Amino acid sequence: MEILNLKDKIFEAGKEMGFDDMEISYVSNKKFNCKVFKDSIDDYSISIEGGISFRGVINNKMGYSYTEKVDETSINLLLKKARENAQVIENDDNEEIFEGSAIYERVDIFSDDYSHVKVEDKLQLLLNFAEEVYKQDERVAQILYNLYEDHESERMIFNTKGLSKIEKSNIGLIYFSILVKDSKDSKSSSILKVTRDFRDFDYKEMAKSVVEDALTLLGAEPVKSKDYSILLKNNAAASLLQTFKDIFSAENVQHGRSLLKNKLGEAIASNQITIIDDPHIKEKMASRSFDSEGVATKKCVIVEEGLLKTYLHNLKTAKKDGVSSTGHGYRNSYKGTITIAPTNLFIDSGDNTYDDLVKSIEEGLIITELQGLHSGANIVSGDFSLAAEGYFVKNGQIEKPVNQITIAGNFYELLKNIEAVGNDIEFTFPSEGYVGSPTLLIKKLAVSG
Amino acid sequence: MLDKRLIDNIITEALSTGGDFAKVFVEDKDVTSIKLLGGKVESSVSGRDYGIGIRIFNGFNSIYAYTNRNDAESLLKIASEAAKAIKETKKEITLNFIEETYNNIHHIRKFPKDIRLVNKISVMREASEAAKNYSKEISQVTVGYLDEDQKILVANSEGKYIEDRRVRSRLFIEAVAANENEMQTGFFGPGAHKGFEFFEQINLKEYGEEAARVAVTMLHADPCPSGKFPVVIDNKFGGVIFHEACGHGLEATSVAKKNSVFADKIGEKVASDIVTAIDDGTIPNHWGSINVDDEGEKTRKNILIENGILKGYMIDKLNGRRMEMEPTGSGRRQSYKYAPTSRMTNTYIAAGKSTPEEIISKTEYGIYAKYMGGGSVNPATGDFNFAVMEGYLIKNGKIDNPVRGATLIGNGPNILHKIDMVGNNLDHGQGMCGSVSGSIPANVGQPMIRVSEITVGGRKGE
Repeated sequence: MEILNLKDKIFEAGKEMGFDDMEISYVSNKKFNCKVFKDSIDDYSISIEGGISFRGVINNKMGYSYTEKVDETSINLLLKKARENAQVIENDDNEEIFEGSAIYERVDIFSDDYSHVKVEDKLQLLLNFAEEVYKQDERVAQILYNLYEDHESERMIFNTKGLSKIEKSNIGLIYFSILVKDSKDSKSSSILKVTRDFRDFDYKEMAKSVVEDALTLLGAEPVKSKDYSILLKNNAAASLLQTFKDIFSAENVQHGRSLLKNKLGEAIASNQITIIDDPHIKEKMASRSFDSEGVATKKCVIVEEGLLKTYLHNLKTAKKDGVSSTGHGYRNSYKGTITIAPTNLFIDSGDNTYDDLVKSIEEGLIITELQGLHSGANIVSGDFSLAAEGYFVKNGQIEKPVNQITIAGNFYELLKNIEAVGNDIEFTFPSEGYVGSPTLLIKKLAVSG
Repeated sequence: MLDKRLIDNIITEALSTGGDFAKVFVEDKDVTSIKLLGGKVESSVSGRDYGIGIRIFNGFNSIYAYTNRNDAESLLKIASEAAKAIKETKKEITLNFIEETYNNIHHIRKFPKDIRLVNKISVMREASEAAKNYSKEISQVTVGYLDEDQKILVANSEGKYIEDRRVRSRLFIEAVAANENEMQTGFFGPGAHKGFEFFEQINLKEYGEEAARVAVTMLHADPCPSGKFPVVIDNKFGGVIFHEACGHGLEATSVAKKNSVFADKIGEKVASDIVTAIDDGTIPNHWGSINVDDEGEKTRKNILIENGILKGYMIDKLNGRRMEMEPTGSGRRQSYKYAPTSRMTNTYIAAGKSTPEEIISKTEYGIYAKYMGGGSVNPATGDFNFAVMEGYLIKNGKIDNPVRGATLIGNGPNILHKIDMVGNNLDHGQGMCGSVSGSIPANVGQPMIRVSEITVGGRKGE
């Protein structure tokens, strides 16, 4: 295989250049996606790509470089750039090349069945989905955006300390965003399904659900500005946790960018809250058997009944804190350096059904969607003020849809003010981790309408 | 960048199943990024992005394929795979490339590859130290450095063959101010379509101090009140309001399929009389500037709104077909990994007549947004939201105490009619704009403007 051959040549040339330990990681990806407009496929895309990243220790400093031109002509530049980069590093916490963990759990994240699904079936699924959406209700005005996509990827790490790991995975997803209109109002809603089992794409059920969501929002209005009890629906809660997930990263803690510093063992959340990172769940999208440094991954309870148990570590932060890596070394692609990210991170399920939680509200709001998370939330301070939509609830009954409001608060405070946890865990779009949450009942948040 | 005969063969293969147009995009980009944390170099990475995108049209349908393999066999194979999506008879298309040249309007003096890493780092240090020394309350300073040298080639079945080279430099300064219980941040990210000369032309100390000043100010700020108020938004990055509230809705990406509230509205009044808005990719060396777009079209100055009347959209080739309109030099993409679509370059509201002092003094009570954070919009409904990085109350025509955690929400088409004062201090700010064709450098800009009423979300209540 060409990459193995290239690896040996890189290590050989690197040794001559003065590198001690060296590592290459290679990620390759095969992707297919398509989109439908009206009743035909109008956008179709395929790709085969890969990139190689090199890192090596020279004079006790780690240097990084990468290239997408994966051939022998790149070797010299790759090594020279890495050497140059190593020379300027000033951080005293030395990074290391890892020799490997004793045991790696096997995680089955490649579906052979999925890899054999025919292109025709994928196109047909999307066409059926679109047709089904329009069938639901005459108020369906448009499909705003839609996508079917699947990936097959392979990641490899090889180093001069003898580590050699390969993991293959695949994933498929469907996304639909639609617009409904009546004589006075128009509203959009979207639905996403990510899976490794093609049969999970129940387009009839999904079409029904996305149209219903949009229809129930028609006629939505702002509510009076004040503090309300908030029922943060599973998807919305997951997207908020996704936004603030980095507060658990030891890197942020050590760099003074997380208020969880010095809080190990302390109550940082309501005692109903347990937060888990589990890299070994077959069905979940961020599962992996080894992290980006080659460390074996394992299940990790971050918050247990409100008490902060651990931060997420890579080798460097673990060494600094005198603990072991939790297997959360992460690079967002072959272009990055090693940072920290969760795998499948979620707030553990509680006992309450969604309906019971709604019934428990005297006066408050159900928030079904949060917008502007990339700008309206400050992960350092924990402050957020976000555009939101949902429903107004009075005496346990949904009274009317609500939009053009903001909800504002502080994430650290919110964790402490969770009064009840649902049993309806949902995960959000996978990106630097796959984050999930059940519906959460929050004592109060400031609402502006 | 790629052998001309090979490109010819790829296009021929791509059109073998009946496509009516095909295009090859080649990208070769050198990137350096450095991170300075607490005054020390934390990481430094350099690399080379390289890949080839192949696009085929069949009427309104589009096929896109990309790879970073560059041998003839792999490229012809992926072209043929992509072509399989079309099942018609081959059309008679003769290929004859004509190399197109143009006047380079974005001159680069110091290419990043000729600058030593230590010099790049000393630029970062200067900004970092200025931020750190600003106040004892500054607990952490992170400075990021980015330079890229991107060479692109576009060739298509209509004979186009054109190259561009874009060199960009940017600094990211983030200061954290902290006391016992809280942390707040301030950010500055100056950038340009320039080489290393950019850092010699700007006042690094001033940028560092400004990031620190914002963080410290916000640490001592009260939570923002919520409700509906007049809002004064200052220049530079304040232009993000137009970018979100209106700009995205004027991209053919959403207009062509009538997914935008601005579809079919050319010639109609969409904003108050004092609003003129422009997207101009030709401003020399600005962050969002390019010579030719990623479809090989020369960029231009596009008037979007003139004195409140909608004049035009930003249009790429594919959506232009559907709209029966000419492309406007707006086809952009993050990299070869994305098919291009219509995007903004440097977008701004043109200068008006009011002085900033006059605008503030004529505002009885409201919010003054000195610096904006980012935001987002739903083009179908026009609903937008964006964050205020540094805000103040305005009381009795004077800027009062700072307030934090403010988010502005509203509806694009409505807000445009509510702009009731436009200042004379036009300036631009730099950002990365994310959309279907990835994340691209874009300038936003405006003079100070006043919106008569926006919903402000804050933690304080009314």
